[in-house]
Amino acid sequence: MRSFDELSAAEIAAGVAAGDFSAEEVARASLDAIEAREPSIHAFLQVTEELALERARELDRARAAGEKLPPLAGVPLAVKDNMNLIGSRTTCGSRMLEDYESPYTATCVARMVEAGCLPVAKANMDEFAFGSSTETSYFGKTANPWDVERVPGGSSGGSAAAVAAGEVTLALGSDTGGSIRQPASFCGVVGLKPTYGAVSRYGVVAFGSSLDQVGPFGRRVEDVALAMNALVGPGRDPLDSTSQDCPVDFLEHLEDGVRGLRIGVVSELVEARGVSAEVKAVVYAAARALQDQGAELVEVALPHIEDSIAAYYVIGPCEAFSNLARFDGVRYGYQEPGCATLAEQSEKSRAKGFGAEAKRRQMLGAYLLSSGVYDRYYYKAQQARTLITRSYANAFEKADVLLLPSSPRTAFKFGEISDPTEMYASDLCTISSNIAGNGSISVPAGLGRETGLPVAVQLQGPAFKDRRLLTFARAVERAFEGECAVAPAFAGKGGELA
Amino acid sequence: MALSEDDVRAIAEYARIGLDDEELTAMTAYMNDAVELLRPIVEFDPAGVDPTFHPIGDLSDVMRDDEERPGLSLEAALENAHAKEGRLFRVPSILGGGGLS
Amino acid sequence: MKTLSEVLRDWEAVIGLEVHTELTTLETKMFCGCRLSHEDDPNADVCPVCLGLPGALPVPNKEAIRSIVKAGLATDCEIQKRSMFYRKHYFYPDMAKNFQTTQGPVAFCMHGHLDLEIRGQGAAELPADAPEDRRASTPSSAMNAHGGTGALALDEDAAGEGLLTRTDDGYTVPIRILRIHMEEDAAKMTHLGGSEGRIGGAAESLIDYNRCGTPLIELVTEPDLRTPEEARLFMEKLRRVFLAIGISDCSLESGSMRCDGNVSLRRKGETTLGTKTELKNLNSFKSLHDGLEYEICRQAQVLEEGGVVLQETRHFEPARKRTVVMRVKETADDYRLFPDPDLAPFDLSDDFIESCRAELGELPDAKRDRFEATFNLKRADAEALAADPALASFFETAAGAAARGAVSVANVLLNVVLGQWRAAGEDAKSSSLTPAQVAGLADLVAEGAIVSAQAREVAAAMAETGESAEAIVDARGLRQETDDDALMAVVEQVLAACPDQAAQYRSGNTKVIGYLVGQCMRACNGTGNPKRFNELLRESLT
Repeated sequence: MRSFDELSAAEIAAGVAAGDFSAEEVARASLDAIEAREPSIHAFLQVTEELALERARELDRARAAGEKLPPLAGVPLAVKDNMNLIGSRTTCGSRMLEDYESPYTATCVARMVEAGCLPVAKANMDEFAFGSSTETSYFGKTANPWDVERVPGGSSGGSAAAVAAGEVTLALGSDTGGSIRQPASFCGVVGLKPTYGAVSRYGVVAFGSSLDQVGPFGRRVEDVALAMNALVGPGRDPLDSTSQDCPVDFLEHLEDGVRGLRIGVVSELVEARGVSAEVKAVVYAAARALQDQGAELVEVALPHIEDSIAAYYVIGPCEAFSNLARFDGVRYGYQEPGCATLAEQSEKSRAKGFGAEAKRRQMLGAYLLSSGVYDRYYYKAQQARTLITRSYANAFEKADVLLLPSSPRTAFKFGEISDPTEMYASDLCTISSNIAGNGSISVPAGLGRETGLPVAVQLQGPAFKDRRLLTFARAVERAFEGECAVAPAFAGKGGELA
Repeated sequence: MALSEDDVRAIAEYARIGLDDEELTAMTAYMNDAVELLRPIVEFDPAGVDPTFHPIGDLSDVMRDDEERPGLSLEAALENAHAKEGRLFRVPSILGGGGLS
Repeated sequence: MKTLSEVLRDWEAVIGLEVHTELTTLETKMFCGCRLSHEDDPNADVCPVCLGLPGALPVPNKEAIRSIVKAGLATDCEIQKRSMFYRKHYFYPDMAKNFQTTQGPVAFCMHGHLDLEIRGQGAAELPADAPEDRRASTPSSAMNAHGGTGALALDEDAAGEGLLTRTDDGYTVPIRILRIHMEEDAAKMTHLGGSEGRIGGAAESLIDYNRCGTPLIELVTEPDLRTPEEARLFMEKLRRVFLAIGISDCSLESGSMRCDGNVSLRRKGETTLGTKTELKNLNSFKSLHDGLEYEICRQAQVLEEGGVVLQETRHFEPARKRTVVMRVKETADDYRLFPDPDLAPFDLSDDFIESCRAELGELPDAKRDRFEATFNLKRADAEALAADPALASFFETAAGAAARGAVSVANVLLNVVLGQWRAAGEDAKSSSLTPAQVAGLADLVAEGAIVSAQAREVAAAMAETGESAEAIVDARGLRQETDDDALMAVVEQVLAACPDQAAQYRSGNTKVIGYLVGQCMRACNGTGNPKRFNELLRESLT
């Protein structure tokens, strides 16, 4: 007997297709692992057992009928709870949407399910994705499987933790300023923020519309590549105006290696104040490993990266204010009972439905967009966006991908407030690629020599060159193979597959 | 230019976020701190640089054909509403409410 | 209160219009695939997008963009290739997202104009000493109510000469259009428990989101209008243009075309603008005229009594012919306008714009001029026929089928058929008369085979039976004898029988001819043409 958590997505799909085990058995294995591990992790806000079993039986019937199974047949999937899925609640980790039943399904979720995934759970998150520790969820914290005293990162903390704890094989998250890459780094899993527009945002509750991007978590680069194939699927999503065609097979060049390619090391970020020694050591170790595999190391700079942080703290709240204006308790969401007027009902529903951070961001956004203020902040932030995009363009003339930390440090303890320099360093690592929109990925690169916790490196590529990112990520993975899989405390705990 | 509690109260009224006195004080402090942290963008002088409102900027003229697509059933449309009447959504008295109509 | 003409002796009224038009001829909404319908049950045509559900995203309807480009081309606007959608935030549940998706400083269409021809009585509303150049004294209201940033480059020559020109029976004047932008309509709210379904005093309100997200174009004029009649004519003309290009059913009654009026007064000769009020509920051409008339007179009274006009929104009550205050605007509304990040910017190609132009068809002014020139119609008749595309096409088909000229077809259509349609609740599209039938009728009238008075009866019978005019006239024995030899025989017979009357006529009492015509008609059992009898009698008696 072995646990399903040892298997890759490809191995599960192959096993189901070959009849080694049924999709329903995989679903039950995942549900069993969830039952065993969830009490310590709390990665999920809802386990959608029926949906998973229903999809599994459908696949099993298809196989019995001799049909060709889809590439992710039987692969257990968790989706962040800001993604709509009919038959489940979509709470965004907020009291505002505590009882909200999804009336439709997000394109990204639909495509994963279409590709054969079993939707087993909705994953915990910082409220409306405002946060980087998953501690601001109205429904409680999620633990880091590598040390349950520590946060999984955020805002897609539930998704990252679920994959790291082996409760599911794949998970979807969303990344507005690092919300996939930072938790992936904290939890020792692979997390990809694709290029803006590569994956449809339709059905994903918006935080910052021009910053948000959906992406997959997996324990292996290959799993993430398979998930990307499903997500870019049959072309651009006609329901998302900002979605673009990404006609690429992400598996195709995965094993090509990096010989002759150029890695741009962004030293100013690796050496930035606040980046811990163990993280620096891991980044340089990864650089050497890639060099050993034949890549050329070059030094690159990213001017205007600091402006991009200020831009983010303007654009994020402005778009959040606008996107969250719809939550007034009329059509859906928390409604304060017994109010005499509409204004009172809206004010009280929003006051009680939203947590502190959601209110702060909306208030700031409402101020920054006000007449006379807009020009000094929002407009300039979008000018900064132009400059950071140019910086990237220059950097990518010298290098095929950039190498930098995913996070300046490893996972911190619950309630531990990071100091401002560390916060700033953290923002420096991730935010600029949300501002410019290009793709970036966090890949585990061993355990920190001081903390013993997962450390990752981040690779950033030019827009719509996400496949190249995966080739590099696979090279990093090859160098550090075996060091990061399911977190040791949970590996094999429940989830046996015949 | 610091924001006063009155300024913040006006924003809260506009944004329909109810704040009690204590929350108002805390929010005012937060807003002033946040605005202070954004000073770099005010001092930033990118004269002549075009803004990028949409990342991956070469996208334009995205449109759909004028074709009907199935929408929501009435049941699904009303499912999450707390106050409804028959086929309609219900809201309390609008006295004092704004609006364009 | 003084009358309008009294007021306009001392004051100049400065009027601008904001006209909202729903693109009712489309199949679906602005940003989603929901059906456009005015009849469906409440909340039958809704989806995640137009209900503003979390996670839903907008995708613009291409035909809506084509429609607004056509509207711009038809009103001589400059089509802006580059523009964006913006979000305009206000908390009100008729807009499901609590923001309206609309356009910013740059609209799809900027700086157009419509030229008005004001004739007859309506022209008298404008005092004879009114200035000829309206632009000089009304600086462009560049940003209007739309806030936002960036100064607009204004093309001062957009309206050509821009001068008022006096004509024989009135004057012509170009009215500048500032912009036409694309936006989405709001949901329909019903207020319960208050008086007359109004919001004041209502205990609760019910919301139907069927209309939410309906494609809506908003046209804003420069404040170039000076009389209620000009405003009414502008709206009528705009409606004709929009009907001609087929972008809307333009029903003021059902609200698919809605007009707000901004009006202020200033002393004659003054060049700065006075404080304006905004008028709502102008949902007929008459209300538009009467509402503005009342408001101009009210403002004059306030000002003449030493008061000040407050910047406010006022509601016109047609039954009582007065305006009442709805809301006072103390400060400009701050809608937190910013470019919608969910919608890609527009960079329309020449091909796109030209393909819209190719679909425009002939506009009412061009059609009127052509009818006037080709068919020799009176200008007013040509204008009336060109006003409605279906009527114009009906006319042209009938004129093509008629043997005795288009003037008679125009007369029969305007004087007989329109009345019959109105009575039967029909129009040119739903007509139970065919153009061929109308052509036949017009020919009979033209050749004098029947008189105009009979045409109504024949038209009604044609509609009922579907038969030709000729068949009905013959079956009913209505045909007037037009053969002069036959008629002359009757004339001679009558003159022989009435020597006294003949003598009276010859001695100067020409009125007696009526009696003689009557005798002729009786003698031929009503089959002769009385007009011809008249002529033949006169010839015989001289």
